[in-house]
Order: sequence, then structure tokens, then C-alpha cells
Amino acid sequence: MLRVHKAVPYLMISAACLLLLVFRVIPLFYSLLGSVYIDGVFTLDTFEKLFFHDTIFWRSMWITVKLNIVVIPLQIVVSLLLALLVNQDLKGIGAFRTTFMTPFAISGVVNCLIWGLLLAKNNGVINSLLNAFGLPSQGFWSDKNQALWCIVAESTWAGSGYWMIFFLSGLKGIDTTIYESAALDGCGPIRRLWSITLPLMRRTILFVMVANTTANLLLFTPMKTITNGGPMGSTNALMYEAYKSSFQFNKPARSSAIVSVLLVMIGLVCALQFFLLRDKDETKAKKGGAAA
Amino acid sequence: MKRSKASTVLLYALLIILTIIMVFPLVYSFFSSLRTNEEIFRYISPLSVHTLIPVNFTVEAYVRVFRDYGFLQPIWNTLAVCILSVFFGCLINSVAAMAFAMMDFKGKKLIYSVILITFMIPFESISLPMYRIAYKLNLLNTFAGIVLPGLASGMILFLFVQFFKDIPKEILEAAIVDGASLRHLFFRIIFPMSGAVFVTSALMQFMGQWNSYLWPLLVAQSKSLRLIQTRLTDFNAEEGTEWAAKYAAMVVSAIIPLGLFLPLQKYYVAGVTSGSIKG
Repeated sequence: MLRVHKAVPYLMISAACLLLLVFRVIPLFYSLLGSVYIDGVFTLDTFEKLFFHDTIFWRSMWITVKLNIVVIPLQIVVSLLLALLVNQDLKGIGAFRTTFMTPFAISGVVNCLIWGLLLAKNNGVINSLLNAFGLPSQGFWSDKNQALWCIVAESTWAGSGYWMIFFLSGLKGIDTTIYESAALDGCGPIRRLWSITLPLMRRTILFVMVANTTANLLLFTPMKTITNGGPMGSTNALMYEAYKSSFQFNKPARSSAIVSVLLVMIGLVCALQFFLLRDKDETKAKKGGAAA
Repeated sequence: MKRSKASTVLLYALLIILTIIMVFPLVYSFFSSLRTNEEIFRYISPLSVHTLIPVNFTVEAYVRVFRDYGFLQPIWNTLAVCILSVFFGCLINSVAAMAFAMMDFKGKKLIYSVILITFMIPFESISLPMYRIAYKLNLLNTFAGIVLPGLASGMILFLFVQFFKDIPKEILEAAIVDGASLRHLFFRIIFPMSGAVFVTSALMQFMGQWNSYLWPLLVAQSKSLRLIQTRLTDFNAEEGTEWAAKYAAMVVSAIIPLGLFLPLQKYYVAGVTSGSIKG
């Protein structure tokens, strides 16, 4: 350790600490307390109204749940399969790997706008493709039964390459000699994946699950840029409702309450994931730690 | 392990199908930006080779994006934001990381763990109250208001700390014995040795700011301060049928992050995966 004057390290960390305090810690407390402290008085009115008299909230809740029950497992499975695929020892595999990551280098806004046009009801190229295969044109973004699933498709297309990166770095950390001895023992590819690869990737899988859950429960860009929550409120998920509550309806307390509910949901889902993927076996955990 | 020929063929087939799914929307957008609106709509259906490939290539859409729709200003604004963020972000985080990695001080462990926890606070969840803080600090519609919240980052600080810990102590001590000041130590010895981690953090800051949408949407609402992503969404909403120009605007806004990401991919991957190590 370097020997310096006592004050020096505090001075060096002061800028970073101050910024994190003002732009991370304080807003978090603001966010959590903004719904229960109104004009300096503690009250549970906001939550009372939200839970018992707010049908729009419950409708948004149902949309958020529906969206996430599909999109979280879908993205995790797709990105894991992509990682397994580009981890194969094949010629030119690096080019494929880069290609799959490309949507992530482009902003969420551009990805959304592209899919907004591709899946347009009129003049959308996907409908032309469907027609070419003899299938009828679909409403996509303008159909209240399809718009939410278009968001699922868009965000899986845009996000899978990103989540793949984490799985890939987890896979790279696995000692390949394990596979050779497993193959000698007559262990097939499915068995290898289930009994060796996945347990060794426990920590990586857990990380991706937690980060993915957070990202998707707070999903906002597709609703803001493509659907505006519609058609007929069918894509009006909670984060977008919180945004509107703050900036269109001027109800900051309701907005804070919705965000707090989202944070609690994130916490609960992540706790469940930790529980499901907890260490059942110490030695496995140690290897898993090394791999992740 | 050996693989049969059949399974190799199958794997390539799968890779190619996935590549088409990943790339088609991007290629289609790129080609559409090189044609006129009329042409896009005329060839969209039924499906033919000209649904994708333009009959007459033209850069008219790009000219209109810059001349008629004034995309140059949001691009300059965003570049300014990115450069400020890269410079101050790298400076603030690396100087703090130097203290955490190389010095002993009271409360170090506690402060460091709080910093790492802040990295798990999702930005979306605090962006709405942060708007009120920015308002109280008179930061609305200022460059400072756009840049400041993104500068300090638990993740980037962590990256620097991990890297600095591995710098051999002897080098630093020798420099101190020679009478080097802390500033000299930082700029002349640590900085030149840490190119990789500086590239990674600069890239994360740049891409993060260039592609960010929610915060600029809230904090930079005045027209003269609009950034590229908010300009794009406004444009998309305002100009219903200007499809060629919409595609051109998207290409313009994607070209810079893509141009950085493709050659520097290695650094970016190192940056994003560093967080998963902690689990």
C-alpha cells in the first residue's frame, strides 16, 4: 500500500462518491419514500388507492406479468443455446459470434424503430414475407392480441446476443478435459450439458437471470417508441405506466409507488432464482465459482 | 472431440439461418435508406428481389435527413456529451480506483461495498425521481445535467480497481523512492500501463451515452439540446410516411457505435462480463 497523507485517499474518492450519492443513492430513497411521504407526512394512501381502487394499475400488472413470464425464460434459453453454438470449434465461428452481438451495439431505440417498420401492418416487409408463403397479413403492432408478443420478439432479437456474451465467458471458463473423460465414460451430449455444463455455469446463469429479470421488468423503450402502451392499452406495462404517471398525469406519488412495486417484484423474483439455484453441493459450487 | 461431417453441416446450416434472422432487419434498413419512399412502397409486396435491393440507388434520403430535418445538431450534441463523459468518467473512476486499490484508509471496505451495491440499482427505477433532483439543482436542459449522472459508475470503478490491483507494487514503490508525486505516478506510470482498462471504460461510457434514451428524454427536452436517440424517436413520430429518411436517420445514428464496437469488441466484452464474475 502506498503511504500518503491521511486525507489524500478521501480526496481521491470524493468526486465518485459524491456523484454516486446524488445520482444513485438519494434518488433510490426518493423513489422508495416518494410514495409514502407526501408533503412531509407519512401516509399509505397512495398504496391504498393503487391496490384497491386503481384498475389501470392492475391491468398493467397483468400485462407486465404476462410479458415477463414469457420473455425472461425465452431470452435465457435462446442466449444459452446461442452461446453453446458459437462455442463450437468451427471455422469462421468468430464472425458468427460478432454477428449475433451486433444488435446490442445498436441502441434500443433504433432496434425498436426498425421492428416498428418491419412489423407494420401496411407496407411492413414481414407481412410481405408471410404473403409470399401464402399466409394472410397480420396486424402485429396494431392488433391488441399481437402487440405484446411483437415486443417479446423484438427484445429477444435485440437482447439475446448480449446475454450470450455472459454465457460464452462462463463456457470458456470450463476445463474441457472434464468433457473428454465424460465422453470416455459414455456420456452423451444432452447428459453432458445437463450434468456438467449447466451445474458448472451456476453462477453465470444466476447472474444472467437476475440482470435479465431486472431489465425486462423495467422494459420501457418499446412501449415508448413503438406502441405508446397500445393498442387499447394492451402493452401498457408498469414501467411505462409509471413514466406516464409522472410526466403526463403529474402524479409523482403514484409513479413512485409503481416503481417501488416493481423493485419489490424484482427482489422477489431474484430471491426465488437464488433459492432455485442455491448451492446443493459445496464442491460443485467451488468449481462453478471458478468457471464463472 | 470429433464431430461427424453431417453434424458439422447441420451446425453451419443453423448458424446461417440465425445469421439471416439477426442481419436481415439491419440489411433491409440499410438498403431502404438508399431508395425513395415511392420505391420502398412500390416493391414491398409482392415479395421480389427488389423488395430488398433498390432499383435506383440514391442518397437523397441522407441529404434530407441532414438538410431538411437537421440531424447534424443532435449528432454534435451527442458527440459532445460522449466526449465529456469519456474524459471525466475515466478520470473520476480511475482516480477513485487508485485510492481503493493502492491505499489504506478508514472505512475503505464499507465505502467500496456501498459503491458496488449502487451498481445494482437499475437506472430506470431511479430516473423519475432523479428528474426532480436535476430540477432542484438547475440541471434541466444543460450538458451538465445530461452528463453528470452517468459519470461515476460502480461497474467501471470496479474494473479499474481489479486492474490496478495487479500492477506490481515494486514499480510504484520505486517511483515513490525516486520522489515521484502522486500526479506523476498516475499520469506517467499507471496510465501508460493500463491502456486496456482505459479503452474498455471509455468504450462503455461512450456507448452508454450514445445509446441512452430515457435520461435524455427527461432531462434534455429543449430542441437545441436534443440528443440523437430522442431526435430519432421524435422524427419517427412526426413524419408518418418518410420511411426512406427514417431508415437513413437510423443508419446515421447506428454507424458510430457500430464503428467503435466492431474493431474494439474484445474490450467491450471484457467490460460487460466483468460484472458477472462477482455473481
